[in-house]
Amino acid sequence: MTSSPALEKTVDKILNQSENELLLSLNQSLDDSKNTLSNSLSLLEQEYDRILVDGKKEADKLQKQITGSATLEARNKQLLLVEDSVEKVFAKAIEQLNDLVRNEDYTKLVTQLLDESVKGLGTSDVNIECNSKDKSVVQSILSKFSGATLSPNTVDCLGGIIVKSKDGSMTLDNTIDARIERLKPLIRKDIAIRFGR
Amino acid sequence: MTLEGGIEYSKIAEIKGPLVIVDGVDKASFDELVEIQTTSGEKRLGKVMEVGFGKAVVQVFEGTTGLSISGTRAKFIGKTMTMPVSAEVLGRVFDGLGRPNDGLPDPIASKFLDINGEPMNPEQRDYPKDFIQTGVSVIDGMLTLVRGQKLPIFSGSGMSHNILAAQIARQATVIGSGEEFAVVFAAIGVQYSEAQYFKRSLEESGALKRSVLFLNLADDPAIERIITPRVALTVAEYLAYDLGMHVLVILTDMTNYAEALREISAAREEVPGRKGYPGYLYTDLSTIYERAGRLRDRKGSVTQMPILSMPADDITHPIPDLTGYITEGQIVLGRDLFRKGIYPPVNVLMSLSRIMKDGVGEGKTRADHMEIANQMYDAYSRAQEVRALSEIVGKAGLTGVDIKYMDVGDAFEQNVLSQGVDENRVLEETLGLEWKTASILPKGELNKVKDKFIDQYYKAS
Repeated sequence: MTSSPALEKTVDKILNQSENELLLSLNQSLDDSKNTLSNSLSLLEQEYDRILVDGKKEADKLQKQITGSATLEARNKQLLLVEDSVEKVFAKAIEQLNDLVRNEDYTKLVTQLLDESVKGLGTSDVNIECNSKDKSVVQSILSKFSGATLSPNTVDCLGGIIVKSKDGSMTLDNTIDARIERLKPLIRKDIAIRFGR
Repeated sequence: MTLEGGIEYSKIAEIKGPLVIVDGVDKASFDELVEIQTTSGEKRLGKVMEVGFGKAVVQVFEGTTGLSISGTRAKFIGKTMTMPVSAEVLGRVFDGLGRPNDGLPDPIASKFLDINGEPMNPEQRDYPKDFIQTGVSVIDGMLTLVRGQKLPIFSGSGMSHNILAAQIARQATVIGSGEEFAVVFAAIGVQYSEAQYFKRSLEESGALKRSVLFLNLADDPAIERIITPRVALTVAEYLAYDLGMHVLVILTDMTNYAEALREISAAREEVPGRKGYPGYLYTDLSTIYERAGRLRDRKGSVTQMPILSMPADDITHPIPDLTGYITEGQIVLGRDLFRKGIYPPVNVLMSLSRIMKDGVGEGKTRADHMEIANQMYDAYSRAQEVRALSEIVGKAGLTGVDIKYMDVGDAFEQNVLSQGVDENRVLEETLGLEWKTASILPKGELNKVKDKFIDQYYKAS
């Protein structure tokens, strides 16, 4: 095998050139990798921060949801319990009112109710309705109100009277039941205060 | 026991639309509450609109369908309509008349307040100030809501105002410790699905705990709509001035309220004003909007965000027109932005918060807040002009700076304006996005902000 110096020189030249190109390319790749790595680091940090912020927001949201609904649920149960107790107090009070003794004080009360009703309606020509227990009470005070008559009809109520103008155009319900209904929101409040509300 | 009205009349002279005319009445008073009893025993509420010559005109809240002249009775209660209020109203859902709608009993009342409210002594009014964060970038950043302000949202049919309303209700808060915040949300004449959405949205986010919800549905009698904003504001005033809370009242949709007012006015045969609305529409609306504010030496505040849908997107329609005279600015939703799929589609160039300057800045939000907001307005306005110009001369005919402005316009719509329905952005985040958008422009173009802020916040790309 014979060697040609020119050929060897050319091969060496090509090899050197390739080596240089390769080294250059390797160095460039190294630089690129370093750049990418350093850029990635800041991107990674940004992404990391973003994930943390999003996570915190989500956690806050979940905390609000859970505590919010739990607090409300507990409060609502409490409201229902208080209401139940208030209703029981009302039922008990009505039971006691049902057994009301028709004494002198009660007669005074009915007189006052009738006086109020006549003034409210603006006429003394009225018809009075009441329950069967109160017929005698109303009858006893009729003489004080000229033009007032006792209706033969009876109404189902705890006590008190229903007063109607004789032409039937105006009615004033002054029964104890109606007055309790009218004042119920205020009475509920008073009862609830006793339960510490 | 005292006699509080309670006289029942059985002579009904006429039933006309939502009105019942009762004969032989001489002791009724204006605005007095009336209980109408039908022949079947059903009870409906109403109030006295007019009284005189032995007659009383009663407006029935639940409508007059099924009522007949014979057999119907009207009991005059002897007092005006009141709303039972206490701290327990928080977390509750009521109907349009203030009756519980959540299966729970009536709240045990600390007070019974007249729903028409106490007139505010003008001398005692304090100027609205301090920031309310809604978590919506375009509002917090450029149309800031201030405690005690009334800032309406003008929308159009089918646009996303209800989604925005619910988002604000969920996210709104005041910055600072020891400040209590509540939301009173009144839905007026909304569809059942929308009402459920509002309710669910507040429940699921846990925001119901600090909210009170009033729901008047589209199929509820129109007349109830007259009452809904008033009961809502009564509760808000109690929370604000008795309990010292900062209360945001969202009223949606005030157009339905005005329609109900028109219906009653027509039934009363009043001389119609513009588009058939009564001549006193302005006065009536002001009795609602003017209940926003704050009082000197009182801790709380009532801030209002009424939402109204403009018929045919017409901003000159009497409802937005008259609302605009009373309120302190407006947030206008744009049909073009809505069609482009941008949420929330706020047209910032038509919107304005008139007292924003008093709620932002150093010590309240951030020193550069007002200036960067002005810069955003300026840049977006210029972007719109450049967009219009490019339609004629083409993009090739624009200068380099013009193209930058177009980029700012796009970036503003994509990054600042657009936001997720559940995305709650704190103010720092919003201002950061505004600076990022403004930084697309060369520093020399930022002529609304001080150099020190440019040095501090400009983000060179």
